[in-house]
Amino acid sequence: MNYERAKDHVLRRARALGVDAEVLATSTRELTLAASGGRVDEISHADQGGVGVRVVDDGRVGYASSEALDDASLDWMLDEAISNARLQPARGAELPAGGALGRSDLIGEGLSATVEAKGAAVVALAGAVVADARVDALFMARYAETETEAVLGSTRGVDGGYRNGYAMLMASPVMKRGDSVKQGWDVDVEKEFHQLDPTRTSQRVLERVGRHLGATPLRTGRYDAMLEPDVTATLLRLLLFSLSGKSVAEGKSRLAARIGERIVSELITLVDDPTLLGGLASRPFDAEGTPARRTPLIEGGVLQSFLHNSDTARRTGQANTGHAQRSYASTLGVGPSNLILEVGDGASLDDGVVVTDLMGVHAGANPITGDVSLQGLGLRVEGEAARPVENFALSFNLFELLERVSAVGDALEWRPGGGGGMVAAPMLRVDALSFAGA
Amino acid sequence: MLQSAIAESVLAAARRGGADFAELYVERWRRRSLRTIDGDVEEAVSAIEQGVGLRLFFGTDVVYAYTNDLGDAALGELTETLVRLRGAKGAVDAGGGGGLDLRKRAAEGLHAPSVAFEALPKAWRLDRLRELDAGARVDASVRQVEGRLLEWEQDVTVVNSEGAWVDDRRVRTRCAAVVIASDGDQTQTGHFGPGLSVGLELFDRFAPATIGERAARQALVNLRARPAPAGTMPVVLGNGFGGVIFHEALGHLVETTSVARRASVLTDKLGEQIASVHVTYVDDGTTPHGWGSSEFDDEGMATERTVLIDRGVLTSYMVDRWGSLKTGYARTGSGRRENYTFAPTSRMRNTFILPGDIEDPAGLFAGIELGLYAKALGGGQVMPGSGEYNFAVNEGYLIRDGEVAEPVRGAMLVGKGPDTIKLVDAVARDLRTEPGMCGSMSGSIPTEVGQPHVRVSQIVVGGEA
Repeated sequence: MNYERAKDHVLRRARALGVDAEVLATSTRELTLAASGGRVDEISHADQGGVGVRVVDDGRVGYASSEALDDASLDWMLDEAISNARLQPARGAELPAGGALGRSDLIGEGLSATVEAKGAAVVALAGAVVADARVDALFMARYAETETEAVLGSTRGVDGGYRNGYAMLMASPVMKRGDSVKQGWDVDVEKEFHQLDPTRTSQRVLERVGRHLGATPLRTGRYDAMLEPDVTATLLRLLLFSLSGKSVAEGKSRLAARIGERIVSELITLVDDPTLLGGLASRPFDAEGTPARRTPLIEGGVLQSFLHNSDTARRTGQANTGHAQRSYASTLGVGPSNLILEVGDGASLDDGVVVTDLMGVHAGANPITGDVSLQGLGLRVEGEAARPVENFALSFNLFELLERVSAVGDALEWRPGGGGGMVAAPMLRVDALSFAGA
Repeated sequence: MLQSAIAESVLAAARRGGADFAELYVERWRRRSLRTIDGDVEEAVSAIEQGVGLRLFFGTDVVYAYTNDLGDAALGELTETLVRLRGAKGAVDAGGGGGLDLRKRAAEGLHAPSVAFEALPKAWRLDRLRELDAGARVDASVRQVEGRLLEWEQDVTVVNSEGAWVDDRRVRTRCAAVVIASDGDQTQTGHFGPGLSVGLELFDRFAPATIGERAARQALVNLRARPAPAGTMPVVLGNGFGGVIFHEALGHLVETTSVARRASVLTDKLGEQIASVHVTYVDDGTTPHGWGSSEFDDEGMATERTVLIDRGVLTSYMVDRWGSLKTGYARTGSGRRENYTFAPTSRMRNTFILPGDIEDPAGLFAGIELGLYAKALGGGQVMPGSGEYNFAVNEGYLIRDGEVAEPVRGAMLVGKGPDTIKLVDAVARDLRTEPGMCGSMSGSIPTEVGQPHVRVSQIVVGGEA
């Protein structure tokens, strides 16, 4: 395989030049099928990969990558990584030593169905969505699968590889009733193609978008709130910034000095588990070759650990939790695998607002301060009655909000967690939240 | 990068497989990024990206495949894979399948840099970021200064079965400062990040120290800012990046990517008054050295200046090849993509509101009893189907009795684009544009947003209830 050859070429040359180097090479195969009008009308196929090198020279780190595998390109890459490293002040960086990690296959034949069967699934999804009379247009209905093979090697002995993959169905309809127009989307991600169910995905997206038709502005004020799992997952992704060992090492985490202290409601227990059997983001080892293990982050509201790679662990004097994350083109970071907010005793709401959607997270949330101001959609609940509400903004501080969680739901939903991770989230109840509307 | 014989044989094979149109997109990037924290290098990264994408049209159906492997065998395989996936049976007689008369066009260098990618040592770059750092140290409350320098050199070749062959080179450079300031109680951030289609001569136009200082001043304003009040009120949007609101709430709604699927509220509205008469909105791919400029789009068409809205009347959509096939509108040189891993879709380039008739921007504040001056906006997003949008205000002030008053933080603008553009009731003359990265179906691409100071009679402002 070309990538093995490229890895060996770069490591051999690094040894000759007397620098420590780690090479991560990945190749990815992707298939995407989009449907409308009863047929597959968009097909895309990808075969992509590249080689990334991290050089450590005299305690300094430099990176470079190449998608071209000829010797001239690989040599440019290594030379750039070395000159990048030499720009840095010495800061005691080192490549972790490691050993043989073997080669694992985490997906097997999970994506081996015929392209016709996959096409039929997305056509069925599109058909089921547009069959609903409230659907005015289908913005997108799509099947996508990804299969990745990674190899990792270093001058310090690390040598391993694994193959992984997943399949997903997603749809985004524009729905209409009278003057009320709503667009939304939903996605189902599974490890194997046959676990997907177009009917299930279509029902969910129609329910999720359709319930907002006829929404009216919400009156400004404080309401008791129920956050749906999707919204909880959004908050967890935001919280991850402060739980990242990288944020701690860079002085950006508000939680830096608080290990062993209660930082959120005692109803909250959060763990990251890369060893979860069948987990979508499970992995045998992280991007530096550190073997995977389950890491409790928050237990009963008390901060237990941050997510660390070897570098952030060394810089903070804490233990490496094996959460190094990187692609061939990116620098060393930390990231979750399967992040799970443990279920509670259940949550209910008699009078308040169910927050179903939060939008604008990339712009309306400051991960450092935790100040959040986001646009939301929801349902105003008064006793038995629930009516859709829109055009409101939700403003809160993430840490204060998590402090005030008064009940945790008893069921988990898996959502994409960002950076290749997955998040399992329940409903959360928070009392007296500030809503800005009409 | 690509030899004529190989290109011809790939396109011919695609046509024999039944495709009505075939297009090869070949690219090679060199990129560098340098990031400092408090003047020391935190990360330095270099990259070569290269790949080829093959797009085939069967009527308006699109198939797309890409690979990093530029070898003859891999390119041949790409065609076979696509034709097989499409399930085309047997050979279709496609006139013009072979013997293409390729008409080569090269870029004229309208946006060419004066400092080449290979020029100047890395230490020179680091010195500029250290100047940025020093420039940001304007107050004791400045706690951390992050400097970033991005350099891109992208070579693109587009060849299609209509015989077009286009070579383009896009060089872009951007420098940004992110400043964290703290008074012990509050921690706030400020940001400034100019970028253009230039080389390192960017620093002749934006001195590194002033980039740092602008970011620091914003952080200091936010430090003394009070939480923004919530409610519906008149809003004056700052010039420059204030235009992001119209990028999101208007620009995305007139891309054929949405319009051709009838998934935009502005579908079938050409010739109609969709905005206030104060709004003339232009998308221009030709601005010299503009962050979103290029001589050709990613479908090999020369870029142009497209007037989208003329005094409130919708005059054009942004049209790519697929959008043109679906809608019948002429292409506008708007086919863009992040890189070879994406098929192109209709996208914005440099998009801005033209100057209006208010000579002095102060005139926009007159008569506002209580309102918000959104001087700098952060990013935002929009649902093209409904036009619902939201934006963070990065630097905001209350307007009291016609004057700019105390700073406020944490404000967010919420609304529906088609409503907001009708409520623009005054536009100043101080047009400015700023760079941004725009994410959509064909990836994240450089675009400029811009406008003069603009007043909107009312927007929902999210803040503290």
